[in-house]
Amino acid sequence: MKLPTLDARRLDWLITFALALATVFWLLGVEGRQGFGRDEGQYFRAGERYWGWFEELGSNLAHGEFKRSFAAPVIDRYWSDNAPDHPVVMKTLYGLSWRAFHRCHCTGATRGLHPIPVKGRHITLPLFARESTAFRFPAIVFAALLVAMVYRFARGWLARPPAAAAAVLTLAQPHYFFHAPLSCFDAPITTMAFAVGFAYWKSLRSPRWGIAAGVLFGIALGVKHNAWLMPIFLAGHYLWMRRGDLRARRFPRPPLAFVAMLVLGPIIFFAHWPWLWNSPVTRTRMYINRHLQHEHYNFEYLGLNWNNPPTTTARKLIRSTAPFVETAFTLPVTTLALAAVGVAALVRRRRGQPVAPDGPDEGPAGAGDDRPTWLRPGADVDRAPGAFLLVQTLGPLAVLAVPSTPIFGGVKHFMTAMPYLAVLAAIGVSRLIPVLAGLVPAARARLRQFAPAAFAVVVCLPAVVETRRSHPDGLSHYNLLAGGFAGGASLGMNRQFWGYAVLPMLDVINRDEPANRAMYWHDVIHDAINMYKRDGSLAMEVGDTGFGEEALRRSQTGILFYEKHWAIYESWFWDSYGTTKPFMVREREGVPLVTMYRRGSP
Amino acid sequence: METRSRLTTRAGLAALAAVSLLALVETASAIVAPYRAPADQDWRAAAAAIRVGFRPGDLIVAAPAWADPILRVHLGDLIPAEIAGRMDDERFQRVWEIGQRGATSAAAAGGTVAEKRRFGALTVRRIERQAAAVRYDFVARWTDAHLKERGADGTILDCPLVGDRGLCSDAGRNSVRRQLVEVDTRVRMALLARPAAHGTVVLEYPDVPLGRSVVVAGGLHNVWLRKEAQRPVDVRVFVGGIEAASFTTRNEDGWAMHRIDTSARAGQVAAVRFEITSPAPQARQFALAAEARF
Repeated sequence: MKLPTLDARRLDWLITFALALATVFWLLGVEGRQGFGRDEGQYFRAGERYWGWFEELGSNLAHGEFKRSFAAPVIDRYWSDNAPDHPVVMKTLYGLSWRAFHRCHCTGATRGLHPIPVKGRHITLPLFARESTAFRFPAIVFAALLVAMVYRFARGWLARPPAAAAAVLTLAQPHYFFHAPLSCFDAPITTMAFAVGFAYWKSLRSPRWGIAAGVLFGIALGVKHNAWLMPIFLAGHYLWMRRGDLRARRFPRPPLAFVAMLVLGPIIFFAHWPWLWNSPVTRTRMYINRHLQHEHYNFEYLGLNWNNPPTTTARKLIRSTAPFVETAFTLPVTTLALAAVGVAALVRRRRGQPVAPDGPDEGPAGAGDDRPTWLRPGADVDRAPGAFLLVQTLGPLAVLAVPSTPIFGGVKHFMTAMPYLAVLAAIGVSRLIPVLAGLVPAARARLRQFAPAAFAVVVCLPAVVETRRSHPDGLSHYNLLAGGFAGGASLGMNRQFWGYAVLPMLDVINRDEPANRAMYWHDVIHDAINMYKRDGSLAMEVGDTGFGEEALRRSQTGILFYEKHWAIYESWFWDSYGTTKPFMVREREGVPLVTMYRRGSP
Repeated sequence: METRSRLTTRAGLAALAAVSLLALVETASAIVAPYRAPADQDWRAAAAAIRVGFRPGDLIVAAPAWADPILRVHLGDLIPAEIAGRMDDERFQRVWEIGQRGATSAAAAGGTVAEKRRFGALTVRRIERQAAAVRYDFVARWTDAHLKERGADGTILDCPLVGDRGLCSDAGRNSVRRQLVEVDTRVRMALLARPAAHGTVVLEYPDVPLGRSVVVAGGLHNVWLRKEAQRPVDVRVFVGGIEAASFTTRNEDGWAMHRIDTSARAGQVAAVRFEITSPAPQARQFALAAEARF
């Protein structure tokens, strides 16, 4: 049977689709082993509540009272949840996905655990057994979009094997992989940062991508506030690319992409968030201030607990290294090494030369197309791919290197850099492939043909294996340089946050005697406990004594997440339970993550 | 040009070899590393061996220290809160150390290894060391102390012992008690004192048998309070009515140790007084431990 032949364009789309699909399946296959973080619990709740507004809108429409849904009290009843903290693009998608795809047990024992009244059995397309998976599905799709986009972007410069390696190395990063399936914003904003950067890059020679950059930026603003920084990084690249204008003492033309971002960004941002509609100026100010004045949560770095801006010079210096050291200790080392090769290649590259040996020239667009206009501001110049990747990679890290910036999110705070770093690694792959091919005798044509793909597989393998190893405790994972889970602990690197690591202990909790069900959950937020129950992972009878010392003293059983600053809770356990002996410890590779105490346990 | 090209080729080959080797090592490490961690049966066997040789007063530690919760799962009944929250390691003559990955504990430093056995991925060592002879433990004997609050105008308020704490005048806000505290994100057993506004908290032990030194440890309790407030706490120590030491403790100082030489008065009994003040006592809770040692 003769296989159908594909032209190059179709083959690339097929690979794009395959990479995206593989991402969806990989993440769907493993996300159920990963517990719910504090923030995710809140976004489950908010997403479902936002769905409540749509539900009421449908009802009002049916009754011819369309306007009622837009009255201020109705909007605030639903949309003030998790406001002014975060805009609502992703939370709305999580809520809609849950409504569309969950398997409804909603009128049973868990009916009272929903944040909005359950009026009856939901008719759904029951794709997912767990409600939490239905919530998480949009985040997983966003991760797949990122992987697909990275391939498309890298393909602009590189052959298929290194471009595919870029896509794989984007996903196969333990910390990114941890965040990728969560109903949070850190992985989705990474997708949007790449989308905006990609559109901007294309807009340098294509006006329609300029408009797209504006639209995508507006959506990014609705995903997370990291979007505020995107124009700064892009402007940095733009000024460098058009440095000839500056040398000639003329200001570069503002490109269409920036104009579109300036115009469409705020419009889309305002339009997407109903909570802003009633009091736009005041509430926008509240949102901005929330993040400009964000408190410094506790975070362990190099054995120190950071919960305030450092005041001494020594501490400021240590603090400023955080994003770089965290990157060096969390990314697969092979990926880092390849990125270093990629950087060296870009440093050596001369203006107009291709990025990869066999790639397209990056010089001016070509005959008839190289007139600079604000619609195609990169037509007459080399687009400076090295500078583009540099600002997109180092920009987010540099922001987090400022000592007064909170670092409580660890890698997630500068994760938008990571896809670009994967592209740098892929450039490294593309530079090493000809060296490898040169070692293969000319007579072995078939071997030479497969060498690029084989090399791409070999260099992706450690990242994939390391990522698989890290799951479901990606936040606790550190790389070969750091010495893995244990090395990270010895170096005093943050072990976890958000209280998600309890999931594997739920079976023990479920089997516990009824007398021990007055449970102190420490950092597990009540919304997460509700979702464990809705998912059927946690027995309905298990209680929650609340938060803080008094709640701990009321409990029969309690857990304690290992984070450096939680030591005070351990003292309360010892004092209240009268023992220093835990009932059990959940660990990874010998490193404690969660300690469980039981009152009266021998 | 030829030379440069060859150099480039050499650099390329070196990079190719390095990256390929790194990829193999990293992959192998990721596969093998999980099996190098201590298993539950290693811990059980190590704990059983320690139980056989354990004597009251022995110290049991994990190396690295982050394995301590797992250590306590197996041997926590031999590690009461007073030991787990010890001031330092100096008073322990015998130290049992359960180590992994080649790590050793500071508590074992300076001693001689009397026993060493391997249990899978764990190594148990019994260390014999020169222990400090404690003549007087100010935390354990805290009810011997007279607690007072001295106002800025010199007025003295007695703070009698009420229940488990010495209670000063203003409805319990100012008190001193022996309790588990958290200093520098580690649990300690200490006396917790709240510096008074415009005054001095005075803790006087009337009859302390002195040795060659009084070792004082102190630090600021409670991670949230350390986040909230930045001002220091000052402590002055008087031995036999004479100021013997003073020190200032800030948030970043952690659990700071201070040694006061009392060798000139070794064997004598004297009053030891601690005076605790702060220029801004709001959200300041000072944890104090001390021992008179030979």
